[in-house]
Amino acid sequence: MIRYFILTSCMIMLSQTTPRAVAQDRTSVPAGKAAPVVEVPKIQKTTLANGLSVWLVEHHELPLIAMNLVIQAGSDHDPLNQPGLASMTADVLDEGTKTRDAIRISDEIEGIGADLGVSSGTDGSFVTLRSLTKHLDVALEVFADVIVNPVFPQTEFDRLKDQQLTSLMQQKDRPTSIANNAYANILYSTDHPYGTNSSGTPASIGSMTREDLVKFYDTYYRPNNATLIVVGDISLTAIAAKLDKALSGWTPGEVPPLTIPAPPAITARRVYLIDKPGAAQSEVRIGYPALARSTPDFFPVYVMNRMLGGQFTSRINLNLREKHGFTYGARSSFDFRKGVGPFTASSGIVTDKTDSALVEFLYEIDNMREKGMTEEELAYVKKGLIGNFALNFETPAQLAGMMQNIILYGLPDDYYSTYLQNIESVTTGDVLRVSKKYLDSSKMAVVVVGDLATIRPGIESAALGEISLADTDGNPVP
Amino acid sequence: MKLIPLALITALVSLPAMTQVNLKYEQYTLPNGLTVVLHEDHSAPVVGVVVMYHVGSKNEKVKRTGFAHLFEHMMFQGSEHVGDDQHFKLLQEVGARINGSTNEDVTNYYEVVPSNELELALYLESDRMGFLLPAMTQEKLDNQRDVVKNERRQRVDNVPYGTSWEKIAKAMYPPDHPYSWPVIGYMEDLSAAQLEDVKGFFRTYYAPNNACLSIAGDFDPVEVKTLVSKYFAEFPKGREIERPAAVPVTIPSEILETFEDKVQLPRLYISWHSPKQETREDAVLTVLGQILSNGKSSRLYRSLVYDRQIAQEVNAWQSSSEIAGLFQIVTTAKPERTLTEINATIDSVVSGVLSGGVTQAEIDKAVTGMEARIVNRMSTVLGKANSMAAYYHYTGDPGNINRQMDLFMNITPAEVLAVAKKYLSAPRMLLNVVPEGKPELAIQKIQ
Repeated sequence: MIRYFILTSCMIMLSQTTPRAVAQDRTSVPAGKAAPVVEVPKIQKTTLANGLSVWLVEHHELPLIAMNLVIQAGSDHDPLNQPGLASMTADVLDEGTKTRDAIRISDEIEGIGADLGVSSGTDGSFVTLRSLTKHLDVALEVFADVIVNPVFPQTEFDRLKDQQLTSLMQQKDRPTSIANNAYANILYSTDHPYGTNSSGTPASIGSMTREDLVKFYDTYYRPNNATLIVVGDISLTAIAAKLDKALSGWTPGEVPPLTIPAPPAITARRVYLIDKPGAAQSEVRIGYPALARSTPDFFPVYVMNRMLGGQFTSRINLNLREKHGFTYGARSSFDFRKGVGPFTASSGIVTDKTDSALVEFLYEIDNMREKGMTEEELAYVKKGLIGNFALNFETPAQLAGMMQNIILYGLPDDYYSTYLQNIESVTTGDVLRVSKKYLDSSKMAVVVVGDLATIRPGIESAALGEISLADTDGNPVP
Repeated sequence: MKLIPLALITALVSLPAMTQVNLKYEQYTLPNGLTVVLHEDHSAPVVGVVVMYHVGSKNEKVKRTGFAHLFEHMMFQGSEHVGDDQHFKLLQEVGARINGSTNEDVTNYYEVVPSNELELALYLESDRMGFLLPAMTQEKLDNQRDVVKNERRQRVDNVPYGTSWEKIAKAMYPPDHPYSWPVIGYMEDLSAAQLEDVKGFFRTYYAPNNACLSIAGDFDPVEVKTLVSKYFAEFPKGREIERPAAVPVTIPSEILETFEDKVQLPRLYISWHSPKQETREDAVLTVLGQILSNGKSSRLYRSLVYDRQIAQEVNAWQSSSEIAGLFQIVTTAKPERTLTEINATIDSVVSGVLSGGVTQAEIDKAVTGMEARIVNRMSTVLGKANSMAAYYHYTGDPGNINRQMDLFMNITPAEVLAVAKKYLSAPRMLLNVVPEGKPELAIQKIQ
């Protein structure tokens, strides 16, 4: 590599002239100045000849382009007998096209220092690209090729299938993964797409064929079932012309609609214990299926949870970490998905305090349900969310994430322009109403992965609900 | 979003052009020795504030390991004018992102605030720099000791293979070397920490002359300098700090260790002593790490994971710190595979590098990847403030943020070969981690 030097214009000033300091009055906390006006980035849109919607936010501060093709099919589209299908399809998508083999794809992308990734989540699958602007043409050619012309080579499929089976073994070594997977199964059962492991099971992966992936791709990876997000140092006209050319071979198709079923009803609190002998901590998950992203109560619930367990100074974290020293961190969240996602309170708890921690978790949930928040707390949370809003439009990744949120959940285009108003309008009455409606601990599952020989007696005497033993998948142990 | 006039990055016109960081900044020092670095960026209404202290676990004493990090926790527990739980409370109230981190060499405190709340951040950072001790109590220490022990459980003890790194550090460095213990510390040492230790540590290492205040983002430079003087100028300068020197470390002969963990697959860690950070040899070994394990055609990945498929993953990298480094290869076996078999493949790949070297194309690919990573790191005010503070402490000049690519320029195959021979021909440590009850999966003896 040849290095061309340029003169940097660093302005270095060494100053030693500050007058001798006097003690500063620190008795009052400095008041902030007027809040900055946050300019919500302008989203520009166009539609390609094949029907693909393209959303662009221009961002000229760095010579970078980021793209994210959002496919409206994630693990929620896995057939119930084939968990892991969306994930495997994403894994193999960039492993070979009609004209490029896996090694060539990898070499071309790395040769320009770009990143190409394919992944799937619950609500969608994503093909992402990040490249320096100067390498965009090469990067785009490979990106488009894996979207339009994937061939899912048998050898690459076999290799990645074997890797996935190994990765499922490794999940069983991690108490956090065990807790997450078992919790999902306990809440939703494996008759619901949210109850299965999105990475699959040894049985589902073991029997999967490359034809299954081809079918998933052919059905769901269609321009009429996708939106392409672009953030970067480029204009809409310029990128649309390049995309029209690169993606011209990608054709629309009929995409069967999917309705995510309602979660199973839970009638009573139950405690599920999963043994991990000798574990240094107990991984705890408490909750139940709660809300979809489309709920009209999104804003009051979001505000309420920030106080309950959604930030460092939340009640749950201050209680379990700062007051009691039970944990390195404790939290709660509503996982708003296309279908009804779970409410979950979670933490890793020092083994001999597991029962006490469960009691404190339930106390905080019940206390919020009974009393809601004070006016002072509400003002505190709102101010924090409003201030934090300014921090969300800095990087290409944040800008892409903002658009992805609108695209996946069908939010209105003015979602971010009206966000602050929606936060402002939440009242303590709203908080109490949604707390009563959505925080019913008498129906929550309490899942604990830990050293049962040590923790079981304490949990039994805490009398939190009927106790069952479960295996590392969350299935009942006779 | 506005276009900033202070464009930071320039793509050079000539080919092959490297994108070079070109960040404008201002540096000055208060009479008490506090170094201040300012970088304006008005592209978003946010400011990143970093206070980085040049103290880490390498400044700890034997039997008090983990202390620098425990101390970091104490810095969030209030100071003379800031109530016990107010530091987090005040910052979260304005929507800030907040955290701290500790490594072997530095301890870092930072917040990203909306630009109207910069003064709050400076007020809070200064109060804990100047007035921590009046607010320090035994109760707070005991509570944070529990939190840190839980952090150790969460990150080390309850994690598969979690204790491997401290076993490697212990084997690679003599017991009095400050890199021989883990940053998180040992449980018994955390138990032993006393309130007096907190006070002594603060007086020695938390003086303004041992800190860098680095601010990047949407501020008015005249106003910010007034605020910095207002809040930070009154503290006295501390005494000079004695720092552990970079003395070359070697191991006299190969080390083979095995331990059994609650895991299903064996994992092999190979470590060689290597140069400290921010040196040319450090850069060359960083490139070699990429050539070995980044991407499908990288040598180790291709051989172990892609072609032979005997390993689930492999990573090779130069892990360097202020006074020493280690070059490491870590790989996890596929089911039914032994570490002996995997190590034989690694040996042949490494021998191939030591005899035949690498190609210029491999080097160029690795350097191109570095370039993109550096540009990405500059995409946030926090990333820029952090990098400037780190360059100040590690190299004495925050301006080295604009010369990040320099160490990677004009690396040739001959140079990679020479550096690889120098470090990877020396004795190494092999750490086998195997499932409980399956010691036969480990390498039994070094060939």
